[in-house]
Amino acid sequence: MSRTISIEPVTRIEGHARITLQLADTGEVEDAKFHLTQFRGFEKFCEGRPYREMPALTARTCGICPVSHLLASNKACDDLLAVTIPPTAEKLRRIMNLAQLVQSHALSFFHLSSPDLLLGWDSDPARRNIFGVMAQDPQLARNGIRLRQIGQTIIEMLGGKKIHPTWVVPGGVNEALSEDKRSAMLAMLPEGLQIAKDTYAFFKTLVPKFKDEAEHFGTMPTLFLSLVSREGNLEHYDGFLRVKDAQGRIVEDEVPPSDYERIIGEAVEDFSYMKFPYYKPLGYPRGIYRVGPLARLNNADACGTPFADVALAEFRTLQEDSGPVASSFHYHYARLVEIIFALESMQRLLKDPKILDTRVRARARGNRSEGIGVSEAPRGTLMHHYKIDEHGLITWVDLIIATGHNNLAMNRSIRQVADAYVDGNDIKEGMLNRVEAVIRCYDPCLSCASHAFGQMPMVIEVKDAAGQVVKRLARD
Amino acid sequence: MTSRRALIIGYGSPIRGDDAIGPLAADRLASLKEAGRLPDSVDIQSRHILTAELVEDMQGADLALFLDASADTAPGEVRCRPLTPDATALSTMAHFHDPRELLAWCQALYGKAPEAWLISAGGAEWGYASYQLSATAQAALEPMIGQVLEKIGVTT
Repeated sequence: MSRTISIEPVTRIEGHARITLQLADTGEVEDAKFHLTQFRGFEKFCEGRPYREMPALTARTCGICPVSHLLASNKACDDLLAVTIPPTAEKLRRIMNLAQLVQSHALSFFHLSSPDLLLGWDSDPARRNIFGVMAQDPQLARNGIRLRQIGQTIIEMLGGKKIHPTWVVPGGVNEALSEDKRSAMLAMLPEGLQIAKDTYAFFKTLVPKFKDEAEHFGTMPTLFLSLVSREGNLEHYDGFLRVKDAQGRIVEDEVPPSDYERIIGEAVEDFSYMKFPYYKPLGYPRGIYRVGPLARLNNADACGTPFADVALAEFRTLQEDSGPVASSFHYHYARLVEIIFALESMQRLLKDPKILDTRVRARARGNRSEGIGVSEAPRGTLMHHYKIDEHGLITWVDLIIATGHNNLAMNRSIRQVADAYVDGNDIKEGMLNRVEAVIRCYDPCLSCASHAFGQMPMVIEVKDAAGQVVKRLARD
Repeated sequence: MTSRRALIIGYGSPIRGDDAIGPLAADRLASLKEAGRLPDSVDIQSRHILTAELVEDMQGADLALFLDASADTAPGEVRCRPLTPDATALSTMAHFHDPRELLAWCQALYGKAPEAWLISAGGAEWGYASYQLSATAQAALEPMIGQVLEKIGVTT
């Protein structure tokens, strides 16, 4: 008799989701699905609004990564204005994006995933949380808080607020950087960089312990999609789209972001409110790809900052053959490399004398009927696409969210982990935690990909084909 | 006036009606500080949500006051109750925290947590509105600020 295991909600992620595992009579996993269970509908209710409201509206998608939406949305609005923003405004936007990356990656690594990495997947679930981490390694937890504080403080210094800043505007930014603020930001970065380097060195010592997880946590052939700079290097704000295949061959390069619809299709499934983007030339679902830190490092020729390039070279050795790093477990590693890159890059940008230039905004009215903005959010490539009428009112919106790009890969990954670890005849909490943990590798933001609301306890149920619960594990 | 280091955090969504009362009260207090009517030892923050990095600020404070709207209190009523560190007040979400959880973080990481109070005002309207309070919540703003001033030992 077939049975279904439901894990709901998936914990230590941004937002709410459910995982179901369908078991065969033998207890083996027959199917695995990752469900986004709530609907939000930003693409629809933004219709009819003035395009200049879009940055503020879409930033409300999320309390954890509003900066990413602000940037992609304002880039789409820049496109509607048909302007090139002043170079200093671009640099300032880059700094804000990098600060966002630091605080977001720090949250993912130190607070969401470190309970598993430090305490183990099979440890007591009552202790496998941030308080368990604090007891085991308080300095690691303090470092996570400090890195987040540095990222958030820089965002606040630039934008006036830590959450939902309104400083980025269509055409640039609305205030130049002062010397006082620049000095204050530069003063924080060495400490942040030291924390990042120390954490990276520490994590390198942990990686060999996770050989088994690295083998089964989303280790699969997929494409990788990300922005790269004009030189082919690591890029988070602008540049071109690049796609590499599982062997490391570049299959798409120098794709202007405005051309994304040529290579990205969007499918839907009836079991989730999250879209299933795919690489069009391969069709659905063969066109599975991954985005985010793992994809960005796999796609980049180099980082372009000193220590991050050393770390990138070490990252590439995680893969035994010469191909891209294939295991989604190594998203954690990639995140730490990117934190280092972001801190080094912010230092470089802030030391540029032109960063204090007061020409930071291009002013224009809507000069195009369609605008596309693409940037790299912490979790991956973020696409905002708007159409407006002659009055500047939004008539159509398409948002492809970083977490959405990874939807096919996340579904494939939980199946792989379930196959490797879940025995339907003897279900243990640690098995199911691994199924959750592979989702945490992607650090999905479900608030962005759809909607998060309310709070539920963790419940795992095993049901028979008639819907009767035959086993239940609850986490309050 | 108090010489204790006080951290005041007003939090809530600015676009959900009376939920904005915490940030609005904090903004009002920040104006008082700018006018020189509050001591330098008072740090005031206005937040959408409570996030992890606030612990770094909390560990340096002797007194923490959290200003929030309440759906469980009679509309317009202002309450003040003590908060103690509570490690069980864990959020399954990662991007917002209960103040008692953050106090527990503070205790666990720095070996100390400030004396803490939650000063809340009952809200009446929770629909979409940008920094606009219902008349009932608006009337609660001054008593809420009065409670804060009393806690930090400032007389007006």
